[in-house]
Amino acid sequence: MNNQSMWSLKFSTAALVLIPVAVGINYIGKFIAGVLKLPLWLDSIGTVLAAMLGGPIVGALAGAINNIIYGFTDPISFVYAITSVAIGLAVGILFYKGFISGWGKAMVAGLIIGLVATVVSTPLNIGFWGGQTGNVWGDALFAFILANTDSTWLASLLDELVVDVPDKLLVVLISYGIYKGLPRNFVQLYNNNDKVETLD
Amino acid sequence: MKSISLFVERESFVHGIDPITKLYYILFAIIIPIILPSFTISAICLGTSIILLIFAKVMRKTLPVYSFVFFVLITVVIIQGLFKPGNETVLLQLGPVAMYKEGLQFALTIVFRVTNIVSAFMILVLTTKPSDLVEALVRKGMSPRIGYVIVSVFQIIPEMMTTMSTIMDAQRSRGMETEGKLLVRIKAFIPLLGPVVLGSLINTKERAMALEVRGFNSRNPKTYLNEEKTYPNSRFIQAVMLVLTVCAVAWRMFL
Repeated sequence: MNNQSMWSLKFSTAALVLIPVAVGINYIGKFIAGVLKLPLWLDSIGTVLAAMLGGPIVGALAGAINNIIYGFTDPISFVYAITSVAIGLAVGILFYKGFISGWGKAMVAGLIIGLVATVVSTPLNIGFWGGQTGNVWGDALFAFILANTDSTWLASLLDELVVDVPDKLLVVLISYGIYKGLPRNFVQLYNNNDKVETLD
Repeated sequence: MKSISLFVERESFVHGIDPITKLYYILFAIIIPIILPSFTISAICLGTSIILLIFAKVMRKTLPVYSFVFFVLITVVIIQGLFKPGNETVLLQLGPVAMYKEGLQFALTIVFRVTNIVSAFMILVLTTKPSDLVEALVRKGMSPRIGYVIVSVFQIIPEMMTTMSTIMDAQRSRGMETEGKLLVRIKAFIPLLGPVVLGSLINTKERAMALEVRGFNSRNPKTYLNEEKTYPNSRFIQAVMLVLTVCAVAWRMFL
């Protein structure tokens, strides 16, 4: 693991080409979750994989571009681009620090990333929807807490938490599984100290 | 292959406005109700966007997006009307449930805010070809490499969806169940996702090499395939929006 190049803004072609594929994987993940009627979104697998392979900057870029492109099919997702950027950054940092190196650690990382996503999304939910997420179960909890306490922030935070943490936990575990299944010579493409073979 | 963007090809003056001006319009439609927070101003902004959408002849395409947004907004109205902290004045009593005035007013603010932002974005999304927008941004100084990344997403997703449906048929023919209990459906997720993801990731290696051979990393200034389009009205529209914003700030400060 090379820490020096973690924040490098010089992207190799391989890292740039990874971004559209990451967006595609996010899209496919969401599509399959829809076909199988799973109660989660599972729409950030690509962002997480891009961050694992290319580092935090590529992850963040993949997250941002992902939501901008989704915005062309559903304008609401423009607003949540910040959340995707935060997910990409968080995964990239954790992974490059060598934190995600086994199934147990990947679970902890999944919880951390779920929390990061919750903390970033909550102010967006409050500003945009008055605190709700649009997920039936989360919003039922939101109504319940709002009826029993006086805090919109608490209600909104928990609303997002119950939806986001299980989702991101599963996403990180799936991505880690896929990462482990990738051929080594492919992973090596992203891991050689900022130097990509060019055909000069 | 089905395109993923919502763009609709039509002849209208909204389609003829340049993409950068439409971006400014989104900013304009978000900022004005923040500077002047009143229902009248929000309604005027929303009305303007809807009139533009009607002129662009894309109103029918907006319905799925609006219906999703309204579904969530109805729950906002109900929850805020019933439970918002600070609810005091009862407006409507239905047996044991009471709708409160403060909550409903707050919910109305949110309804206006959300529909306003969504409508402004839809003007951009429904009347602008994604590649035109990217080209306009690259001409304004965005990195052409990032431009390539954005445009290629619109090619890669339909490609991956085709692979996806092949794989889904293949796995079903081997007896994989995609319906039934939650656990059965969760188990089906990996065999569906795995092959597409691994395949497309490994393809990136070839794509990267193909691009480098064609001078993707070259430092020479890039040329464009299409000639630059000229948009006669964009200066004027941008100026009008700027003047209106300045007027709004002045109104807020002095009146």
